[in-house]
Amino acid sequence: MPAVVAGPRTALAVRGLSKTYAGHLALDSLFLQIRPGEIHALLGGNGSGKSTTIKILAGVVPADPGGELVLGDGDAIGVHDWTAAKAHAAGLRFVHQQPAVFPELSIAENLALGAAFPRAAGGRVDWRALNARTAELLERYEIRASPKTPLAALRAADRCRVAIVRALQDRDDADSGVLVLDEPTAALPDAEAQHLLAALRGYAAAGQTILYVSHRLDEVLSVADRVTVLRDGRKVDTKDAEGLSEADLIEMIVGRPLDRAFPVAPAETTDDAAMTIRGLRGGPLHGVDLTLRKGEVLGIAGLLGSGRSELLRMLFGAYGVDSGSVTLDGHDYAPSTPQAAMKADVAYVPEDRQADALLYGESVRHNLTAGQEASYFRKFLYRHRLERDDSQRSISDFLIRVVSDTQPIETLSGGNQQKVVMARWLRRRPKVLLLDEPTQGVDVGARAEIYQLIRRATEQGTSVILVVSEPEELAHASDRVAVLAGGRITAVVERPIDAHKLTELMNAAHSAVGEASP
Amino acid sequence: MDELPTQRAEGAPVIEQPDAPVVEIADAVATRSFPTALGAFGGRVLRQYSLVFLLVASFVLYSTWSKTSSVFLTGDSLRVMVAGQAVIGVLTLGILVTMVAGNFDLSVGNIAGLSYVMTATLYAKHGWGLWPGIAAGIVIGGFVGGVNGLLVTILRVDPFIITLGTASAILGFIDWYTQDQSIVTGIPSAIPNFGKDNFLGVPDIVWVLALVALAIYYLLEHTPYGRNLHAIGSNRAAARLVGIRVERSIALAFVINGLFAGLAGVLMLARAGSMTPTIPPTLALTALAGAFLGAASFKVGRLNVPGTIVALLFLAVNITGLQYAGVANWINEMFTGLSLIFAIAFAAVLSKERSVKHKTRKSA
Repeated sequence: MPAVVAGPRTALAVRGLSKTYAGHLALDSLFLQIRPGEIHALLGGNGSGKSTTIKILAGVVPADPGGELVLGDGDAIGVHDWTAAKAHAAGLRFVHQQPAVFPELSIAENLALGAAFPRAAGGRVDWRALNARTAELLERYEIRASPKTPLAALRAADRCRVAIVRALQDRDDADSGVLVLDEPTAALPDAEAQHLLAALRGYAAAGQTILYVSHRLDEVLSVADRVTVLRDGRKVDTKDAEGLSEADLIEMIVGRPLDRAFPVAPAETTDDAAMTIRGLRGGPLHGVDLTLRKGEVLGIAGLLGSGRSELLRMLFGAYGVDSGSVTLDGHDYAPSTPQAAMKADVAYVPEDRQADALLYGESVRHNLTAGQEASYFRKFLYRHRLERDDSQRSISDFLIRVVSDTQPIETLSGGNQQKVVMARWLRRRPKVLLLDEPTQGVDVGARAEIYQLIRRATEQGTSVILVVSEPEELAHASDRVAVLAGGRITAVVERPIDAHKLTELMNAAHSAVGEASP
Repeated sequence: MDELPTQRAEGAPVIEQPDAPVVEIADAVATRSFPTALGAFGGRVLRQYSLVFLLVASFVLYSTWSKTSSVFLTGDSLRVMVAGQAVIGVLTLGILVTMVAGNFDLSVGNIAGLSYVMTATLYAKHGWGLWPGIAAGIVIGGFVGGVNGLLVTILRVDPFIITLGTASAILGFIDWYTQDQSIVTGIPSAIPNFGKDNFLGVPDIVWVLALVALAIYYLLEHTPYGRNLHAIGSNRAAARLVGIRVERSIALAFVINGLFAGLAGVLMLARAGSMTPTIPPTLALTALAGAFLGAASFKVGRLNVPGTIVALLFLAVNITGLQYAGVANWINEMFTGLSLIFAIAFAAVLSKERSVKHKTRKSA
C-alpha cells in the first residue's frame, strides 16, 4: 500500500478562533491543524481554552466573528455560521466528558438515538433489526451486555463506552470527518482505558482522524501522533508526540517546570494503628483485613468492581456491613450513619462529587460549612460573621481559587470544586480521611495541590485511605498500597512501590480468584 | 469556562447571585470600561429588584389613575387589601419550608380547610374554649403534616403525588365531618373580632402574617435546620454524606408546614366569622405560585421570605387595583398565573447572561 495518500493534508483546521466571555478572552486567535488519520491530542490546564475550543467545534458555543474553519479540502467557513447540525453533517462526532446517555433506556435505544431507528412496514420501529445491529456492535466493542439491558444497569465505565460506540457507530466505513473525544477515559480505570486506547489506535490506522482531549498525560503520549498545548487561551505549541516526556508536557501546560507532579516526601509513619479492620464483609467484600497506620497514606488498588468505593463507604456508615469488626484508636467503631462516623472524626470524600458532594445552587461558603452549621448556632443566633471568617480562611488555607466565598459553587472549575469538598473535611482535622478518586476530572496543577493538601493533613496527624485508579498516581502518592481483589486484600506493598507491580498484582489476583471461585 | 452550569436536581434551575456588590463592581471596573460596568451593575439590580420596582410602579399607578385613585389610597382599602392576603400569605410562607427541601406539598389548602372546619365545630358543637380551639386548629394541621411527612419518607414516593392523595382524602373527611352543614353561631366573638380589628392601624391578622414571615425567615436562613433543608433541596445524596438526617428533616418540614397551614385555617375562620363547608380548591396552587414568584426577587432562583412578601404584595396591589377599576372577578387567578409566567421568563433570560459572566469569574 502506498504510504502517501493523495488526499487533503488537513482533516480539520481552525484559524483565528477567538471567544470572549463578557470581557474575558477565553480563546485568543487559535490556529489548529489536524491531519487526516492522526490522533491529535489537545492539552491544557484549567482555563486554557481547550474545552471552549471543543464546544465551539461542536456548535454548542458561538465563537467570536472572524474565525474560520476548514474541513478537508473544502473552503474556509466562517465560524459565525457554524452550528451543531453543520458539525454533524461535516462528519464531526463528539463524545463529551459527561456523555449524554439515557440511563432509563436500553442500550439498543441509546444507540438508536444516535443514529436512526430501523423502520419496518407502517413506520413502526423494527426492534428485531435494532437489537441485532446493537448486539453486533456490542460484540465488536466487547461490551458484555445484552441490547435490552437498561443503561443504568451498566457500570459507569461501560456507559461511557456505549456513548463512544454511539458516536462511532456510523463512522466505521467512512474515513472522513473527525472523532472528538473529551476526556473519554476520565471515568475508566486503567485496564478499560487501555482497551479504549487500543481501539482508537486501530481506528486511526484505518484512516479515522481523532481529536483527543485528556488530562492523562501518559495516555496521551501512548496514543497521540501530535500534541497541541493551550495555556490561557493561547496555543503554546504543537509538537510531534514522539520524543516527548510527561515532564515536557507538564512544563508546557503549566508554564513552569515542576519538581514532581506529586509530592513524594515520605511521611514519618509511626506503627501505631489508627484503624484496624478485621474480616469486613458486605456487598462485594468477603473478609477484608487491613491496618491503617497513624499519619500514613494507605492506597487501595483494585480493578473496577473490586469494592474499593464500597469499602470506604462502609467505613463511613454509608454502606451496609454484614459482619466484621473495625477499631478506631483502639475503640470499637461501627458507624451506622455518616453522622456517627463524623462524630468519630472520620471524613469521606466521595468519588462522584457532582452527584454526592457538591451542593449546587449554594455558595462556596455554604458548601464549605455543609454539615457543620450547628457549631455556628449559639443562643438561638447564627454566627454568620464567624462562618464567613472561617470560610475565607479555608479558602486561603486550602488553595481554593475564587473571587468571593459567596460565589455559586457551579462557577468553580472541577479542580477548585474538589478542593472545596476536601476543605470541607480537612478543616475539621479528621482522624481518618477516606478519599475516593480525589483527582478525577482535575487538571495537573490542581492535582498537585490536592496531593499537597493530603500530605499536609498527614503531617498534622490525619491518616488517609486513598483510592485512585491510576497505578502510577497511586504509587507516587501512597506510603503503602493494599491490593483489593476478589473481595479480599491480597497484598500490601511497602515503599518503593512500583506501578507496574501493582497492575500485575491487581490483575494476577483477579485471575487467580477467578480460577478458585466456587 | 470548562464547565457548563449544571442544573439543580429539583426546583429552580437558576443560578444564585453573589451578595457582595462591592467586589462585583470593583472587578467589573477593573476589567472593562465604566459604562459597561455600570450597565452590568444596573443589570444585576434590575434582576434582583424588578418585582419591587413593579410593585412600587403598580402602587403608584392605582394611586394616581383616575378610575381607582379615590378608592385605592384610603386607609381602609389598604387594610382590606393586605388583610385579604393574610391567609394565603401564611400558607405560602409555610409551604416554603417543604419547598426549600425540594418537596411540593399540594395538600396545604385542604389542611387549612380542615383546621377551619374542625376549629369551628369544636367551638360550636363541643363548647371548646377560645385558646384550646386555636391550639387544636394548629395542632390538627401539624398532625396531618406529620402524616404527610411519614408517608413521604417511608414510602419514598414523590411528595407531589402523595400530597395530592392526602388532599383528596382530607376533603372526603371534611365532607363526612361537617355533614355539609354550616356553622354560624357558637364561635367565640374574639375570633371574628380578631379578623376585623386593627392594632396600631394595622389589621390584627396582618400582624400575624408579619410574625409568621419573621419566624420562617429565621428558620430558613438563620438556623442549622434551615440550612440543612437547603442542602437537602440542593443535593440529597450529598446532604446525607455530610451527616444530615435527611428523612427526619423532611418529615419535620412537613409537620412545620402543616402547623402553619393549621394556623391559616384558624385565620380563615377569623376572616369569615362563620364556617361554610366549602374549601376553595386552588389555595395550594396559589400558594405555590406565590412562592415561585417570590423566588424571582433578591436571591433570584432561590426561594426566600422577603421575595415572597414582595410577591404577595405585588399580587394584592394589582388584583385589588384592577378590581377597583371595574375588571371582572376572574382577574384574580389570571393575574397570578400571568405574573408567575412573566417573572420566571424574565429571570431565566437574565440568568443566562449571569451564568456566562459567572463562568469567567473563576480564575484559571
